[in-house]
Amino acid sequence: MPSQSNRKNIRFSLLDGAILVLLAGMTGYFFFKAASGLNYHWKWEIIPQYLLRFDSNAGEWRLGLLSQGLVTTLRLSIWSTLLAMLVGVAMGLFRVSPSLFKRLISSTYVGLIRNTPPLVLIFIFYFFIGDQIMTALHIDDFVYSISDKTKSSLAFFFGPMNRFPQFLSAVITLTLFEAAYIAEIVRAGIESIENGQWEASTALGMRRSQSLRYIILPQALQRMLPALAGQFISIIKDSAIVSVISIEELTFQGQQLMTTTYRSFEVWTTVLVMYFILTFLCSLAVRKLELTLRRD
Amino acid sequence: MKTLRTAALLVFFCLSALILGLNQTATAAEKSQLETILKRGTIKVGFDTFKPWAMKDKNGEYIGFEIEVARKLAKDMGVKVEFVPTKWSGIIPALLTGKFDIIIGGMSITPQRNLKVNFSIPYEFSGMNIVASKSKAGDRTTLQDFNTPGTTIAVRLGTTAAEAAKNFLPKAKKLYFDEESQTIQELLNNRVHALVASNPLPFTLAQEYEGQLYLPLENDFTKEPISFAVRKGEHDFLNWLDNWVRVNMSKGWLQNRYDYWFFTSEWENLIQ
Repeated sequence: MPSQSNRKNIRFSLLDGAILVLLAGMTGYFFFKAASGLNYHWKWEIIPQYLLRFDSNAGEWRLGLLSQGLVTTLRLSIWSTLLAMLVGVAMGLFRVSPSLFKRLISSTYVGLIRNTPPLVLIFIFYFFIGDQIMTALHIDDFVYSISDKTKSSLAFFFGPMNRFPQFLSAVITLTLFEAAYIAEIVRAGIESIENGQWEASTALGMRRSQSLRYIILPQALQRMLPALAGQFISIIKDSAIVSVISIEELTFQGQQLMTTTYRSFEVWTTVLVMYFILTFLCSLAVRKLELTLRRD
Repeated sequence: MKTLRTAALLVFFCLSALILGLNQTATAAEKSQLETILKRGTIKVGFDTFKPWAMKDKNGEYIGFEIEVARKLAKDMGVKVEFVPTKWSGIIPALLTGKFDIIIGGMSITPQRNLKVNFSIPYEFSGMNIVASKSKAGDRTTLQDFNTPGTTIAVRLGTTAAEAAKNFLPKAKKLYFDEESQTIQELLNNRVHALVASNPLPFTLAQEYEGQLYLPLENDFTKEPISFAVRKGEHDFLNWLDNWVRVNMSKGWLQNRYDYWFFTSEWENLIQ
């Protein structure tokens, strides 16, 4: 792509100006209406303390409620992304496997998950299936048996350990849900590689697993990357849904805050901006990665 | 290949049977809930944020009437307390599936709820009231004024306010919301005539938006018993709770704390 010529030819036409003015006008009108049209007492000054607050007892700065929520959102997203990647790639490879059994397993899984709303899935998983798994694995007893010291160090990775079973439920549901989409991305990526590549690698005497590893996947990965990036950003946004099972992530903290302070607009706006910053940073990072992987 | 597949399936079924079997024995071996709590050394309390029943202060700690009740209860029991915030609409399923031991969340007794959970004797009473929009609802002064087909009422889903609205205002149109803040916003935006909620919310709202909202009724139109809820069949636990309420009521502790959270605003600077 001729990125240098782009830089030279930045021209500002009349149309651009008109569009900018129109946009500014619309934004201005929106804020004017929000400020005057709604019967609402704006109180923006209460928000900063929920982002960062000074703890006078401990004498140091601490994360506010909303920032704590953001950290939980991050934890949720990172774990779900890692697990979803594992499950998704495995299921995606199953989708293109020559074995009918594997293909049936993965197409059932993908079909089942893609055609159910995540909200319903989360409720069912949390109340019925999650409960069975937690009891069977004795997660609860495990959490109570570990020492306080281990608890606080594990809390860095999983959040407060006494809420660990709920957290695990949320991570598993998010994983199952997102992995179905990743599986489809992986399948599409592999199927997009020309048949000739398969034939050529077979002609070189490679086994199926070898051709996948050395020939097909490296090419497919590059094609899959933009779609995968979109999916990872989706995970961050979809994590908001686990607020319904009371995981204390950003949306949940926001809702709690609104119930006690009755400041819905300020809190929702702040939450929106926080999500945006998080996902936008991710988009930038992925864009960077795409450019590095480009082979020209 | 075929034998391998059969073997894999067999292992899978055996594992699932094992998991289910373990579950069965686990529930059978469970003793009374009171014993379990004492042995664990922690009581898990389910609740949802309701001002001033339970809310988060600026430091991220829970405060409020229910929170104080739960802390005292745990102290008298000699165990630690662990708070499990739960969305109101899912709070009973969460109790039934063992996410916590007890609901201390300003829950009023209703026959429907009582079919699913057991209630202790009431430790407090809460009243429903209406707060209405001046411009939209005019100067109505009785409950009957609001019971017309042209009236729209906002209530929070799954609360007794929703039931009270259903019973006392059957003709009015009701809009249900998941969060209290949404009902308030609807009222402030003049999309509904009034909202029904338990005190002191209508009172505080009428105060804050004095020019816009008013209290049509002088007194609460219901008086509902507030109780602890536990899973069914927990008679030992219930007996303990009932007597805890009797003792703390006779000492005046419950009334004292109720007055502090509901009729003073000394704690208001703790939350914003």
